[in-house]
Amino acid sequence: MVTTADLELAERCRAGDADAFEELYRQHARRLFGLVFRMTGSAEDAEDLLQEVFLQVHRKLSGFRGESTLGTWLYRLAMNHCLDHLRGKQAKMSRSTESLDREEAAEPIAHEPVVPSAISRMDLERAIATLPEGCKAAFLLHDVEGFEHNEVAEILGVSEGTSKSQVHKARLKLRAILSQ
Amino acid sequence: MNCERYDDVLDDYVDGARAASRPADVRLAAFEAHLPGCLRCQALVADFSSIRRTAADLDEMIPPPRLWAKIAASIDADAQMPWWRRTFGDAFSAWVPVAAAAALVLLVAGVAWFSTTGRAVPPQVASTTPAVTAVTPAEQNYEEAIAGLQQLADAQKPSIDPMTLAVLQKNLAVVDRAISESRAALMNEPASAVAQESLLDALDTKVALLQDTVALGAESVDQ
Repeated sequence: MVTTADLELAERCRAGDADAFEELYRQHARRLFGLVFRMTGSAEDAEDLLQEVFLQVHRKLSGFRGESTLGTWLYRLAMNHCLDHLRGKQAKMSRSTESLDREEAAEPIAHEPVVPSAISRMDLERAIATLPEGCKAAFLLHDVEGFEHNEVAEILGVSEGTSKSQVHKARLKLRAILSQ
Repeated sequence: MNCERYDDVLDDYVDGARAASRPADVRLAAFEAHLPGCLRCQALVADFSSIRRTAADLDEMIPPPRLWAKIAASIDADAQMPWWRRTFGDAFSAWVPVAAAAALVLLVAGVAWFSTTGRAVPPQVASTTPAVTAVTPAEQNYEEAIAGLQQLADAQKPSIDPMTLAVLQKNLAVVDRAISESRAALMNEPASAVAQESLLDALDTKVALLQDTVALGAESVDQ
C-alpha cells in the first residue's frame, strides 16, 4: 500500500527538489544495489545499471501515480533494466511468463536433509550466482529482499503463481547445489 | 507417494503459513497432515527453511560513495539535454532535419490541397461572412509561443552549425509562406474549419521548428 510519505517524497522530487531525490536515493540505493549486483554478478555492471536506473527514475517520476509503493515501483524499474541488460548481454534471458514458466527436467529429490542447517553465506551467494535469471530474480526478491509473492509478481510482471513456482524452482536448485 | 501436488503449499509452509491461522486453506491443512509421515517433504522443509534463513541474512551490499555523485551529474546533464533527445535518444538527433523536411512536404501538400478545394466553394459563402476574421484563442496561444521561441532561437543561432541553420531557416521560410497562405484562405473563407485547421497546423509546425532550433543550439553549446 502506498504511503503518504511516498507520495510526498515523489511530489517533492517532481517539483525539482534535489534534496528529496537524494533522500529517495539514500532510502533505496543499498537494497537496489544488492539486488542488481546479485543479478549481474558484477559490481561494475551494478554501478552502471543503478546510475541508469536512477536517471530513469528521475525522468519517470511524473508517471508514478501511487498505485504501488514507491519501493515496488523502483524495484520494477530496476529489475526491468537489469533483465534488459542481461538479455542484451547474454541473449538468452526472457522476462516473458512463458520463459519463466518453462519446464526443465526434474531433478531427483533427496529424501533426507542435504543442506547444512547453518549454510555459509558465502556458499549461498555462490550458489545464487549460478541460478537462471528468471528464478534468480524471483528468489532474490522473495527470500532475500522479503517481498510477498503478490509484490514479486507486480515487480516482474508475472502472475503470483509464477512467482511461487519460480521461488520453488530456485530453492530446489540451490538445495541441489549446496548439497554437493 | 505423489508429494509434488503439495509443492506450492510446502513453500507457503516454509514461509511461515500455518493452517491454524488460515482455516480456509484446506490444502495447507492437508499438507500439515501429510508432513509427519513423509520424509521427502520433511527434508525439503528443513533444507528450504535453512536456505530461506540464510538468504534473509545475507550481507548488505553498499554502493560506492561515488555512485550518488555520478547520478547527480547525469541528472544535471539530462536537464540540459533537448527534450526530444531525452525522449527518443541519441539516434533521433540525426533525423531531426529529415523529420522537419518531411513534415514540411506534408504541410505544403496539405495547404496546396486546401487551396485547390477552397476554389470549389461557392462564392456566396464568402460574401455572407465578415471580411476580417477574429484571431482564435488557439491562434493567439501559438503566436505568443512563437514570439517567445523566436527570441530564444535568435539567441541560439550563432551556436548552430551553419549548414543545419540554413536548412532550418529555409524550412521556417516555407512555413511562414504556408501560414500566410492559410491566413489568406481564411480571409476568403472565415467559416472554413479546414482552413482554420490548416493555419493551426502551420503554426504548430513553426513552433516545432523553433523548438528544434533552440534545442540544436543548446546541444551545440553542451558539446
